[in-house]
Amino acid sequence: MTLAASSMKYKLLIFATALLTLTTPIAASSFGAANISFEQVLGLFTSPFLGADADSTNALTQRIVFELRLPRIALAFIAGAGLALAGSVLQTVTRNPLADPYLFGISSGASFGAVLVLSFFGSQGLVQQWLSESGSHLAEAILRSGWFSHDAWWSWSSLSLPIGAFIGACFSVLLVLSLSGFGRASQVERMLLSGVATSFMFGALTSLVLYFSSPQAAASVLFWSLGSFAKASWQGLVIPAVVVSASILIILAFKRQVIAIQAGDESAHSLGVNVAKLRLYMLVLCSLITAVLVASCGGIGFVGLMIPHTVRLLFPGQQPILITALVGGLFMVWIDVLARCLLANQELPVGIITAAIGSVFFLFVLRHRR
Amino acid sequence: MSADIPSALNVEHLSWSADDNQILSRVSFSQNQGEMLGLIGPNGAGKSSLLRCLYRYITPEQGNVKLFGRNINGFSQKQLATQVAVVQQETPHYFEMTTEQIVAMGLTPHKGLFESDSPSDKQDIADALTKVGLQLKAKQQYEQLSGGEKQRALIARAIVQKPQLLILDEPTNHLDIRYQIQILELVRQLGISVIASIHDLNLASAVCDRLILLNAGKCIAQGLPDEVLTEAIIGDVFGVCCQVSKHPQHGKPLITYFYGYQSGGHSKDDETEASL
Repeated sequence: MTLAASSMKYKLLIFATALLTLTTPIAASSFGAANISFEQVLGLFTSPFLGADADSTNALTQRIVFELRLPRIALAFIAGAGLALAGSVLQTVTRNPLADPYLFGISSGASFGAVLVLSFFGSQGLVQQWLSESGSHLAEAILRSGWFSHDAWWSWSSLSLPIGAFIGACFSVLLVLSLSGFGRASQVERMLLSGVATSFMFGALTSLVLYFSSPQAAASVLFWSLGSFAKASWQGLVIPAVVVSASILIILAFKRQVIAIQAGDESAHSLGVNVAKLRLYMLVLCSLITAVLVASCGGIGFVGLMIPHTVRLLFPGQQPILITALVGGLFMVWIDVLARCLLANQELPVGIITAAIGSVFFLFVLRHRR
Repeated sequence: MSADIPSALNVEHLSWSADDNQILSRVSFSQNQGEMLGLIGPNGAGKSSLLRCLYRYITPEQGNVKLFGRNINGFSQKQLATQVAVVQQETPHYFEMTTEQIVAMGLTPHKGLFESDSPSDKQDIADALTKVGLQLKAKQQYEQLSGGEKQRALIARAIVQKPQLLILDEPTNHLDIRYQIQILELVRQLGISVIASIHDLNLASAVCDRLILLNAGKCIAQGLPDEVLTEAIIGDVFGVCCQVSKHPQHGKPLITYFYGYQSGGHSKDDETEASL
């Protein structure tokens, strides 16, 4: 009887998640600075099917919805899904319920890598300054090639940022692991403190780079430290979308092995899992997800902590990877809506809101652990 | 032992040391198929290290281990996990996992990437839970189970793993006597080869076909319980005074300890294990 009830509740929750996922793009598009009603957005989405023609006011609305709001919603969704997954995997492979890309120092390592790239290779960066001052033909050719512009997803500036962030993220993972001892992943407090120390260290390095960089570069870096989806564009979505979907596939493929790590290293070994290798691969995967997301929307903390815990509470006894990703995505989209609407004529950086909610959640988890 | 049936386990001259401390030195023994072998010895004798060599968690410096006639280094890790299952005494914290999910972990070595549980897998899980008497706790959180139930759930996981050899590292350490007997009898009834390290000598005597006695990394004695559990050997290895009689029910050795007659012997504490 209770089993049937819990299975019914499970199905209902899955149905609700699916329904929310389908309606969220339309509903979330009707929020923002420009006053566009839900009916208008619904009309825009259905007009290609109903054959209705667009008038001139509709054209502006259409541009706002399809070129500004939808890519932003998509980026928020991908970021939320990716961060929730990264958090869930980190918590499992380190057997640490408080693991999160942010608390683990991965985000700050990625931010540092991104900031280094920006201040050296960015549009106001040192390398470009040097190139334009040198005046040689080669330098001009490089500048004209569009490598430093933000036009295409394959341009230098689009690719160098995630790569720099990824290298920074990998460094921070290595640092956390060597500080807390490779074999002693179960020591929750030790690993958490190592993560905090790493976070501070990369934070200090980031500040140092900022101190010596130009004011423009410093201003554009503030964006990273607070986290925002304001710069979302369709071409900017390519890399995050590919990385997050590929990660979901990889995690689904190794789901059994990842879950087995929870049994302890020695038991997982006896279940046929190469623990050291799998843990390292999964940490690199989490670094990659975090790095790509930090590069496109900055450091957004605590999503990786809150979502896996909430999903575990909602779906006890399940290890729903896809649901974790969906709930993470939905959460992020609506937090972004909140960020857009909380203050009149002004946008709050989304990282501020997640940190505010997340820190309370963190204390809650800490209190109820054990 | 018949010549054409390979031993379940054949261990030859196994040596292993950690940080310059010799933990195991030239341990040799063999185990017949379907036999329940008990590993006994004082704390720090090297029992856990020996078992770890058998499931390849640590690599011995010398000697080799053959499983059903084949060197264990010839198995891939996944293959080895389909042959050998391990139940340890300590279990870490599992996030919100049900008993059923813990048991389902036993399928891990049998499954490929993306492969989900088939109906026959689910039946295997249900059967294993019934075998250990936990069918009603299937959907319950593992963390809410009692110590004995947790241990039985881990044995159910090992059953689902369908091994040829089951290794138990002090499976009954924290359990009361009822669960100690229950778990070891349960394991015996599985009909597969079992090697278990057991602290309680009377329990080992009662449930095991043969015993291996380790002390300071060396195999001191092996054979039937009445060959290994003699007053002289127990006095020498454990440093206690005892009388060995016959158990009224099964006729195997029954040890009665005397108090106030510590004989000194060669027993070692955990702390002195390293100083060999």
